[in-house]
Amino acid sequence: MSAVAAEAGWGPMSKTRAAVWLSIIVGLLLAVCVVGGNIGIVFALLIALMLTGIPVSIALGLTVLLFLLLLTHVPIEAVALKLFTGIEKFEIMSIPFFILAGNFLTHGGVAKRMINFATSMVGHWHGGLALAGILSCAMFALVCGSSVATVVAIGSIILPAMVKQGYPKRFGAGVIITAGSLGILMLPSIPKVIYAISTSTSIGALFVAGLFPGMLLTAMLCGTTWFLAKKNNYPRMPKATWGRRWKAFRESIWGLMLVVIIIGGIYSGIFTATEAAAMSAIYAFFISVFVYRDMPFKNTPQVMKTSASMSAMLLYIITNAVLFSFLMTHENIPQLMADWILGKELGQAGFLFFANILLLLAGNVMEPSSIILVMAPILHPAAIRLGIDSVHLGILIDANMEVGLCHPPVGLNLYVASGISKMSITELTIAVMPWLGTMLVFLVIVTYWPGLSLWLPRAMGMM
Amino acid sequence: MTKILDLFEEWFITFLMGGATLVIFLSVIHRYGSGFAIPIMQDWLLSLNVSWAQELCIIMFVWMAKFGAAYGVRAGVHVGVDVLVNRLPEDWKKIATFVALSCGIVFTGIIGTLGLHFVWENGMHYAAFSTFGIATGDLPQGPTTPDLEWPTWAVYSAVPLGSYLMCFRFLQVTWRFIQTGELPRHDHAHVEGLSEDDGAFDVVAAPGGVK
Repeated sequence: MSAVAAEAGWGPMSKTRAAVWLSIIVGLLLAVCVVGGNIGIVFALLIALMLTGIPVSIALGLTVLLFLLLLTHVPIEAVALKLFTGIEKFEIMSIPFFILAGNFLTHGGVAKRMINFATSMVGHWHGGLALAGILSCAMFALVCGSSVATVVAIGSIILPAMVKQGYPKRFGAGVIITAGSLGILMLPSIPKVIYAISTSTSIGALFVAGLFPGMLLTAMLCGTTWFLAKKNNYPRMPKATWGRRWKAFRESIWGLMLVVIIIGGIYSGIFTATEAAAMSAIYAFFISVFVYRDMPFKNTPQVMKTSASMSAMLLYIITNAVLFSFLMTHENIPQLMADWILGKELGQAGFLFFANILLLLAGNVMEPSSIILVMAPILHPAAIRLGIDSVHLGILIDANMEVGLCHPPVGLNLYVASGISKMSITELTIAVMPWLGTMLVFLVIVTYWPGLSLWLPRAMGMM
Repeated sequence: MTKILDLFEEWFITFLMGGATLVIFLSVIHRYGSGFAIPIMQDWLLSLNVSWAQELCIIMFVWMAKFGAAYGVRAGVHVGVDVLVNRLPEDWKKIATFVALSCGIVFTGIIGTLGLHFVWENGMHYAAFSTFGIATGDLPQGPTTPDLEWPTWAVYSAVPLGSYLMCFRFLQVTWRFIQTGELPRHDHAHVEGLSEDDGAFDVVAAPGGVK
């Protein structure tokens, strides 16, 4: 990414400027240490370690080790024990399964059929192919828990197609980057699993709660796209016949059936969330290799290896974050923070505003899982005491993570899209602006309209 | 030698990923399959006890996490915050990277040692002594896992093994960094199989589809 960063005007600073910056940072961190006491030291240490560029997981773990060794009398064996028991929860194991399922879906031609179906439905409107891109992202998001996988799966097919039809490249890229982020909002989602684990919220309720907000965001993105496409007179496609639509639907039904497996399974109690994830991985494998036959069987080990290393990276962050939350509980930090936040008497609205700003800022430096693992334990107790529903907070955090995925410097969707479209990050950052604005409006709606997220899980009796 | 280790590492995590998926799949099939009243099948299915599936899956994934993390160091998939470091002057950047890598080495080394200590105290000591016929005295035999009844020290040895392997990988990366100044980086922007998709999309490929 460094090359991309340099290209984006993030080149190296001169020595004097770097020295000034570094001393400002060191000064700030020291100030935090002095003002914040033990809490200050914990966070200053964490931030200092992170800024050296070491993996977030190791920064978390090392903070805990250093703090325990230097400032407390906690026997260090406690750390060793935590390392074993940290991820010994069956719920956490749904993450590798969802990643595996997502990778099978990406390689297995499911995306292609969904795009065909979406195109046959809305292709004849203004900006038809772009609208179809958004709809197919939404459909893919129903069965896939990762936004990067969604961008890869849909974007790698629809972007070249849009360019061929005469859309400007940046228009297509902007659409796909933002629509891809639906991947973590609609139904299953890896960030939601992580939130559920770190706050003991129901996974099923969180999955279902994302459906209506996801549909709203889809509609809003489509609205923006339609408006822009109409203004610039982008190409439309011939209207598909109903026969053709039916055929496209029948072909995509295999992929859409996954929704039934995941949500139906969890809702009716046939599966736990983890089992549903495992079944969807097997199902995705089956349709990719035997039904659609888009993925040769010999590629299976390769897909499994990629999934394994991605899951291991996430699980490693989780292990160390468990250590970190052990330290936080030991120092009573979540309670102190909650007291401090409540002492400010912000009220619900003020707190939610504050939480959004904090999460958006965090989205500038870290990727979603790390943010949730560090922030959720801090925000959750205060939110509960203010009477904010745990599921609502989860969806709010999720929506914030979506925004973070779509802008530099760490927005993964952007980097993936730059790989597909061969556009620079700077160009993409400008390209994504209209839809990013739409997402911010959406964020406000999600924040201050809890019913949007909470109605469905309540109606289904999941919470 | 390292080649063999590399290959082993990759196949091991691939196997664990696939294995765990199959285990859960089979246990679910078993749970509902044994509900059908097919004469001989049902008796046979009911005679199997698969309550250990969940535990086995967890163990497999914990092992996968530890060894996969080591593989991740080699492949450069661990994400860090590089916003500041990337903007530092070139030779300062080197120092920062070096500090970062040393942190990795120290952390994984410490965790490996802590883990080894824990594992040793929780039954490995006993197991080693009794295997070699040395009097075990009052050494604890160590607990076993609830369902599979495997000794916990064996299950938990993923932590020392994985951490030491990760430590070794960090040393390798550091060594290469000193020699060549390059770091392994997982390129998220690289998308596999992109060029193969040409013409796969029939609605667009149809000529005259553009109005």
